[in-house]
Amino acid sequence: MRIGMVSPYSFHVPGGVQFHIRDVAEHLLGQGHHVSVLAPSDEETPLPPYISSAGRAVPLPYNGSIARISFGPVASARVKRWLAENDFDVLHVHEPSSPSLSMLAMWAATGPIVATFHTSNPRSRAMQAAYPLLRPGFEKLSARIAVSEDARRTVVDHVGGDAVVIPNGVFVDRFAAAQPRPEWQGSDTRPTLAFVGRLDEPRKGLQILTAALPSVLRSHPGVRVLVLGRGDAAQAMEVLADQPAAREAIEFLGALDDDAKASLLRSVDAYVGPHTGGESFGIVLVEAMSAGAPVIASDLGAFRRVLGEGEYGLLARASDPADLATKINELLDDRTGAQERAARASVAVRRYDWPRVAAQILDVYETVTIGADKVGEDPRLGLLARWRPKVS
Amino acid sequence: MDQAVGWLDGPWGIVVLSVLALLVIGWYLSYLAARLDRLHHRVETSRAALETRLARRAAVALEAARLVAPPAGEQLRLAATRMVRAPDAPVSEASENLLARALHQAFGDAEKVKKLRLDPAGGELLDELVLAGERVQLARRFHNDAVAHAQRMRRKKVVRWAHLAGTAQMPQMVEIDDSQPEGLVLP
Repeated sequence: MRIGMVSPYSFHVPGGVQFHIRDVAEHLLGQGHHVSVLAPSDEETPLPPYISSAGRAVPLPYNGSIARISFGPVASARVKRWLAENDFDVLHVHEPSSPSLSMLAMWAATGPIVATFHTSNPRSRAMQAAYPLLRPGFEKLSARIAVSEDARRTVVDHVGGDAVVIPNGVFVDRFAAAQPRPEWQGSDTRPTLAFVGRLDEPRKGLQILTAALPSVLRSHPGVRVLVLGRGDAAQAMEVLADQPAAREAIEFLGALDDDAKASLLRSVDAYVGPHTGGESFGIVLVEAMSAGAPVIASDLGAFRRVLGEGEYGLLARASDPADLATKINELLDDRTGAQERAARASVAVRRYDWPRVAAQILDVYETVTIGADKVGEDPRLGLLARWRPKVS
Repeated sequence: MDQAVGWLDGPWGIVVLSVLALLVIGWYLSYLAARLDRLHHRVETSRAALETRLARRAAVALEAARLVAPPAGEQLRLAATRMVRAPDAPVSEASENLLARALHQAFGDAEKVKKLRLDPAGGELLDELVLAGERVQLARRFHNDAVAHAQRMRRKKVVRWAHLAGTAQMPQMVEIDDSQPEGLVLP
């Protein structure tokens, strides 16, 4: 099958949506499908061969992060050229409700179009205002996919219509088979906890974990917190200015590659996900579960579902350092219980394994392409869309 | 400024403004008609996909019927045969529900289905049946979603008043029981 995928965000910046697209694309390529991914990018940096550049991206704040996107007439012309060159059976756009390449592609194409919605946010004024303008575009989608029940609810509320839930995928075995590193492994007196995520993005919740740390240290003085992620370490430590013990317990590892992340999750005594909101799925949780790490995470809707309402890991009240500290202490005091939950988790994560997830996505493609035409250019659009600047 | 708009006060002004208004209305109506046309097309394509999926499930169900002891197996065979014999007939909700009931009776008991899986050929057939069932669910959701969008558009006052839908029938959702029996899960 000839599959075109559109990423709203640049691949030069790591992010959940980009990783998802890369993994699906590589998995489907491996199965012998033709896959081309269109994404914003700066010309200088090399990209895998299956990614086509749609030109420079500009930073734009979206959903609490900075997203790099391209939008406008030049990007629109690139989208059309890419569609014309590739002759796709199915077009798969990601996050088409953000002003991005995905939205442009949704507008520019006809035929079988599939969209995946990754975010869940409460009904926002901006979306409500923009919705009448977006509706005609969304009507063209043959199928909508939401990555979680929470993301699906956002689709139903904001976009109208239905979506099927297909979770994000993880290469479970990569995490399950990762080599632990001795320097990250804990001992009875010096247990290790892992945090993964940008330091300066409040919704990842590092500030909640640092605030919980003093009271964890009172019960378990040897605890080490290993922090993986980009950001300003000095700034993250500011809240602990008068807590030298807590400052010493935190070790910043910086940004690490995927293999090192897997090793970290495989080594530690527990993974902590203190996110405060804005998470629609919780891929890190699934990665930690795949690596066999006991998990403690905020009780956000998406996390509760991934953790089977507590069956596969402990849930702490979101944005509540005191409760997080209690749960961390509880886990460190009852290692057997934690191991049992982790063992159940490593069975449960199989449903997020890429072969399973990619098969479901392919099922969607097949369903929408039965008896349908190929992806073509939409002849009937507003006057503005017909204006086509020259692209070199 | 007064002079610039002054000419709009005269009879020419009325003509120009009316022509502009007609152009805008004409563009809007053709735009709505194009959207409606696209939705009707989506309804048709997704319905054809659903019919393909239903036919496939019926064919697999007929194969799988031989795994099941009578009377459930016999009922399943009869229900599936009806659908396989008439592949081009429009979806009959009644016969689809009949097949659904037969599937539930044959594979409703997870323990019994586990025993059927002991035979490797049977296991393969059951996997096929699980997939075929999931694909029916998927196709029906996509179809009904297209129908919901089309119905919403058709109910718009402008669309009804301008007869933009022409003589096309109001699309209807396909309401059938496509739930999977307890026993039909991948191992």
